[in-house]
Amino acid sequence: MGIELNRRRFLSTTASVVGLTAMGGLLSACGGGAQQATGANSDALKSALPSYVPSNAIKADIAAVAGGPDVMTDPGFLTYPSNRIATVSGIPGKGGRYTTVTPLWGTIPPADNSFYQAMNKALGVTLDMKPADGNNYATIVPTMTAAKKLPDWIQLPAWWSSNFSLGELAGTQLADLTPYLSGDNIKKYPNLAALPTGAWQSGAWGDKLYGIPSFSTGFSIAGTTFFRRDVLDAKGITADQVKSADDLMNLGKELTDAKGGVWAFDDVWTYMFPAWNVPLKWKVDNGKLVHKYEMEELLDALDWHYKLATSGYLHPDAIAGDNTNAGVRFYSGKTLIGGGGGGAWNLSDHQSGTAANPNYRRGAFNFFTADGKGDAVIEMGASTRILSYLNINLKPEQIEELLAVANYLAAPFGSAEYTLINFGVEGVHHTMVNGVPTATEEGKKNVQATTYPFLAAPSAVISNPGGDVVTKDYTAWQAANVKYLRKPVFWNMNISLPRSMATADAAQAVEDAIKDCYHGKKPVSEVKDAITTWKSSGGDKLIQWMDENVLQKYGTGQ
Amino acid sequence: MSTVDTEPPARKSGRLSLRVRLRRDRSLLLMTVPAVALLLVFNYVPLFGLLTAFQDYNPLVGVWNSEWVGFDQFEYLFNDSLFWGSLGNTLYLSFVQLVLFFPIPIALALLLNSVLSERLRNLIQSIAYLPHFFSWVLAITIFQQMFGGAGLLNQFLRSNDISTWDIMTNPDTFVLLVTSQAIWKEAGWSIIVFLAALAAINTDLYESSAVDGAGRWRRLWHITLPGMAGVIMLMLVLRLGNALTVGFEQFLIQREAVGHEAADVLDTFAFYYGIATNNYSYGAAAGLFKSVISLLLIWGANKLAHAFGEDGLYRK
Repeated sequence: MGIELNRRRFLSTTASVVGLTAMGGLLSACGGGAQQATGANSDALKSALPSYVPSNAIKADIAAVAGGPDVMTDPGFLTYPSNRIATVSGIPGKGGRYTTVTPLWGTIPPADNSFYQAMNKALGVTLDMKPADGNNYATIVPTMTAAKKLPDWIQLPAWWSSNFSLGELAGTQLADLTPYLSGDNIKKYPNLAALPTGAWQSGAWGDKLYGIPSFSTGFSIAGTTFFRRDVLDAKGITADQVKSADDLMNLGKELTDAKGGVWAFDDVWTYMFPAWNVPLKWKVDNGKLVHKYEMEELLDALDWHYKLATSGYLHPDAIAGDNTNAGVRFYSGKTLIGGGGGGAWNLSDHQSGTAANPNYRRGAFNFFTADGKGDAVIEMGASTRILSYLNINLKPEQIEELLAVANYLAAPFGSAEYTLINFGVEGVHHTMVNGVPTATEEGKKNVQATTYPFLAAPSAVISNPGGDVVTKDYTAWQAANVKYLRKPVFWNMNISLPRSMATADAAQAVEDAIKDCYHGKKPVSEVKDAITTWKSSGGDKLIQWMDENVLQKYGTGQ
Repeated sequence: MSTVDTEPPARKSGRLSLRVRLRRDRSLLLMTVPAVALLLVFNYVPLFGLLTAFQDYNPLVGVWNSEWVGFDQFEYLFNDSLFWGSLGNTLYLSFVQLVLFFPIPIALALLLNSVLSERLRNLIQSIAYLPHFFSWVLAITIFQQMFGGAGLLNQFLRSNDISTWDIMTNPDTFVLLVTSQAIWKEAGWSIIVFLAALAAINTDLYESSAVDGAGRWRRLWHITLPGMAGVIMLMLVLRLGNALTVGFEQFLIQREAVGHEAADVLDTFAFYYGIATNNYSYGAAAGLFKSVISLLLIWGANKLAHAFGEDGLYRK
């Protein structure tokens, strides 16, 4: 396993569990008639956002590379930092007792175990940890909110914001953290101050701060198009030879050998369509808000994917919608090119791949435009989608105590605190093997990588001990592509849609038609029909509503 | 096991007072309490949730505080072409399954009943039961591995330069695919109830008819089939009552393979266009519509059974 769970790796795990792709969707539907649209770039929010004070406590082996505004690659670590720097002096808590609820995709550790006890001692509070089954989380939480019985501290992942009606919870059941964190107030919590501003924005509703971010990143992309670097290298093909959609299609032809059971492609749509200059969802054209469904470019992108599906270069199992085995097909060399979240590029992928083929090496194409002209524009998703919240019923001193605890939990990668949070006590829960903290039996039983880090965690880093090639490849690819990343319209803005708009926003019928098209079952014209129906049955109203209530009032947020 | 012509005890007890019957049957009644409780908790209490079909349900404020919208959800539903498409698919699938699937377990049971070696019979039975215990995910994976575009059959065809056969992703033949999957998975299990009916037939009848010179087919026609008629009718009534329930997972899993237009049935419709998009009330409306029609169907089928002089769900 990887030494730490960075944000995107986590997302790729949960995506397979809950069947959600970690797309940078920015809209969240909210319940009730409360039609508040809450923008993240209102002037009031700008003054509420915390100051950003990067931490220099621990130096990365491969430094982060800055791109445009709010864009930055994740730093890389080839070894686990050996000098355990403590970033928090003293004990943060004052002896309070609090209940926490976080989703967990894994075995629930026993209550009051040795790891929890060690953490409570270090934190100076008693956190009553209640991890809940991640697969049922979206249905567990609404029962608590309906009864107005939220725990003191809870993780509410943003991809479920609409399930949780988060826009309505903010300020009614969740505490406003603005007075404690805005501007220079955050300097009281240096590890929280080191989290990027965008991450705080993604936890803001209205002009107030609510969410405490975990696993934030400045390189937030939905994913990219990967290829089997070992196979392509052997054929003398390099990534930068592919400069357009045509190049990719030709490569597909060259690589496909159906008789030999090899098809060039697995599904690529989700991460390829931006090559046609299609936005994640919204675009502003001459001051007018445009939905991607209204764009010719989307149809062009679909046309190419329809051709791909009917060309015979796309694996039949992908056409049959079998996504769960996409990894196996890729490892076994039955497919050579496929889309995936950035989280796919990690140590466990490397281990699975090399188990199937010792030469296995993952690579990714640099972003290109479909026609091969100009620079690609890749729109970023939210800075984080993992946010925790405090209960509104907590007293100010209790909130301060928990923020001090959050500050401890957000200690940077490799610090003394980070090591305790992620690996437990040395000698009890882990031992150092070749410089890498390695779990003991006690550690395997009690230390789950996603309990405390789901309350607060530092920004993502890339670290794959024992798989240096992964860290080097991934950081190099990020550095080469950081220049293409842009903030999309409504970036990091939380928008509560009225319930009547939520169905149009989800646009299930159009998304179904799109899927049928890129699997070669429906020509583009039928997607066009579905879009026409969508527009008349709520789509146009949605666009108008977004234009009037969000764009005109709050701007683009870019 | 009682024989078919035994007078049921319920008839005789009609003359006793309720108190006496309660006392006499108290152990039996006690034994049914857990099942009844289960039914109450998981089938009757959730009926309360049907209220949401008449609301714009918001989970945050709960059922009591959600806005009442009357029949609005049903109005949207009946104007939704996707809903009618799913209903059409459901009815079509149900009809095809009734014609192709329903007779198979009966035939299998008769066939199995004619096998004399008990050992062989048990073996066949066990093999036939086995797929029932597979989940749909596994069953469909097996089909995909065998008949998929990259499966055993097509790779064989490909390696012999024969054109491939699109079985798993062809929307036009999807109905045959799902029916054959259902037969493979469930036909073996469904024979149990028919075997039980066969076992209940008095063997003396066969002996005396054989003595009278009746051949194999005559015995089948005049003894076996009439002996099974009650059970067949009961199963048919249940099948008709469940005509709008053709399965969920099987379609959910294969929805991407053939597209939503071929694969959406009422249950997946309620899931994708209701629950998955947080439009709970819409899903509830679709579900309620299905339940009402199902109730009418089961009532009608039961009437029909009684008209034919059979028991149906209960004895008239």
